[in-house]
Amino acid sequence: MRTEAVWTVAKREYLTRVKSKGFWIATLLLPIAMAALTILPSLIAMKAKASHRLAVVDEVGELGEKVAAGLDRAAEGAQEKAAGGDHELDGVPEMAEVQVELVALEPDREALRAKLDRRVLGGEIDAWLWISSAGLAKDVIEYHAESVSNFMTQSRLSHVLSRVVADSRLAQAGLDSARVAELTRDVDLQTVRVSEAGSREEAGMAGFFLAYFLFFLLYMVVMLYGQQVLNGVLEEKSSRIVEVLLASVRPLELLVGKLLGIGAAGMTQLGIWLATMVALSAPAVMTALAIAPAGAQLPRVGAPLVVHFLVLFLLGFGIFATLYAAVGAATNNIQEAQQYAGFIVIFLIVPMFLIIPIINDPDSTLAVVMSMIPFFTPLLMMLRIAVKMPPLWQILGSYVLTATTVVLLIWICARIYRIGILMYGKKPTFRELWRWIRYA
Amino acid sequence: MIYNLELREVRKVYGDFVAVDDVSLAVPPGAVFGLLGQNGAGKTTSIRMIMDILAPDRGEVWMFGRRRESKDLRRVGYLPEERGLYRKMTVTDHLLFFAELHGLPRSLAQASIAGWLERVDLARWAKSRVEALSKGMQQKIQLVATILHDPDILILDEPFSGLDPIAQGLFKEMIADFRGRGKTILFSTHVLEQAEKLCDHISLIAHGRVVLSGELAALKRERGGNVFRLETRSAGSAFDGVPGVLQLLEQTAGLRVVLEPGADPAAVLRELVRRAPVTGFRSEEPDLETLFLQAVRDAN
Repeated sequence: MRTEAVWTVAKREYLTRVKSKGFWIATLLLPIAMAALTILPSLIAMKAKASHRLAVVDEVGELGEKVAAGLDRAAEGAQEKAAGGDHELDGVPEMAEVQVELVALEPDREALRAKLDRRVLGGEIDAWLWISSAGLAKDVIEYHAESVSNFMTQSRLSHVLSRVVADSRLAQAGLDSARVAELTRDVDLQTVRVSEAGSREEAGMAGFFLAYFLFFLLYMVVMLYGQQVLNGVLEEKSSRIVEVLLASVRPLELLVGKLLGIGAAGMTQLGIWLATMVALSAPAVMTALAIAPAGAQLPRVGAPLVVHFLVLFLLGFGIFATLYAAVGAATNNIQEAQQYAGFIVIFLIVPMFLIIPIINDPDSTLAVVMSMIPFFTPLLMMLRIAVKMPPLWQILGSYVLTATTVVLLIWICARIYRIGILMYGKKPTFRELWRWIRYA
Repeated sequence: MIYNLELREVRKVYGDFVAVDDVSLAVPPGAVFGLLGQNGAGKTTSIRMIMDILAPDRGEVWMFGRRRESKDLRRVGYLPEERGLYRKMTVTDHLLFFAELHGLPRSLAQASIAGWLERVDLARWAKSRVEALSKGMQQKIQLVATILHDPDILILDEPFSGLDPIAQGLFKEMIADFRGRGKTILFSTHVLEQAEKLCDHISLIAHGRVVLSGELAALKRERGGNVFRLETRSAGSAFDGVPGVLQLLEQTAGLRVVLEPGADPAAVLRELVRRAPVTGFRSEEPDLETLFLQAVRDAN
């Protein structure tokens, strides 16, 4: 193999990609999308906290005021929490500011209901509550509003109402509600991640999302860059450039150069993304950007994780891009290619079914065995590393196995590539592909 | 004599089909060598074996007086029959890429590219994307990409197929230029008139076999002597069935008479005169088509 030829091909593949507008749009878009995904929910949550005008009709006679007081307290708690103060006040979850209007009971209840409905439709109030003894006996308080799908508000309202009703029932039973609340406090799981680098508090859900995120990011880039190899090979074949190229480059040089160049373009893009992530996930930055409240335990994206991610990208790309190159060479157009590419995607889909079992138990026999199979190693080892660092021998073992597989695959696919790239017309059958491998 | 390019009993078989059947040919330095034959005769397969794109099942390819080594191919400029360009690259980037593939240093390549673009009148397109160029302009770029590294051997597979007249003229000019500088040119074509004007050596291939090969002028001399021009006012049909006549071709104010090998021209002439009035009868050099038809018939 002539290294200058490989280098020249790789350079062309790399530069044409890195110089294209699409590359930079995608490179910048992902961090923006990530930021949007982080910030949007809190924006939406803030919107949901907008004030809520509520009319309360109380048949029982004593609960209306308590509900109003409970809601006020909840709103104060929410403000304090937003200001970085202590957590839930009195066990009441944060709550939007609610303007409560106590409506006196009228003799004609149906007329009153109709009037309240009109006020809702007229936009005077957002909703009205009807507290009745009959309803309470069945543990029900009516809630009437134009939209009853604002489940965030409803769940908070329901929480406050439950507490108010419970307090009132406790009082009736002669018990001190403050004392009861004191004694029936919930306990939380404090999740601590144990690793070689030392134990550290980390939110369980955040760790789960990081593993999930890294898995799908890797899936996406391996797939996208593999497809780029497929398209590149097809382009050269269908435009007949390859005929000219083969005069000065051996097929193996062309294949290896292509894989190196496109792989390097992928590494460049990932490098930018991961550097952004590392920078943004540093606690100081998170706090400064006010993305996370102080003291929140977010998973850190550290250098070892990034290194493993990049290695696994290279291995995954090595396997799948090589297969894609063979498919591109063996077929004549993208439609034909997609039929074969479907078989390749299976190897990327299988790991998806293993996400949940592996996250739950990253050391199970299933997790260890599947992550050591070269075709699954890139995605599954990434998942395991993100959840809990596996033993070093497993990581290195799987890397060596996968790298060996990549070399073997390149050797096999180069044969298909060599013959396929000059074959036009009929799409070869699997049997013919096998013959190419044997006789090339 | 050291040949710049040789095929030695090269054979290529696909399944049951013998595409190239023990083909040997030798191209001397400075020759314009025509590889002739109909479509499917085995020309492209032979050329691909020369370029090491296909491996022969048997036989050897020699270059510059020794068995071909892969570095020899960098001294070859190859223009395949099916040729394409990277549509999204600029003209200059595209040419640079091919120059570098042939091992040309970048600075040298840049100077060479500028010179060639000037010469083929495309200098102002240097920074344009290939897809913005017309078909004729793209053909010029393909030719420039083939010869940028100033190869010692130029191999052109059906160079004139699909060319617009301007590009054709340019190609012929290049061939003349290369010949003038003592380089070796091999091109394949199925258009015999074209080969006749450009080549000094030929190899005729039919069904994967060489049926005729050598220096064109010598072949014409050797194979001459059985082609005559008959001047007559009578129609060709008047001379049908004359013994010893292989072929009669109507031409302006006369006929072209090809004799069977070994036929006695004097005896044939006596019979022709007996059939109808004849005003002239003289020996003529055979054209390539005649040689081709004869050779194919002899081979069968």
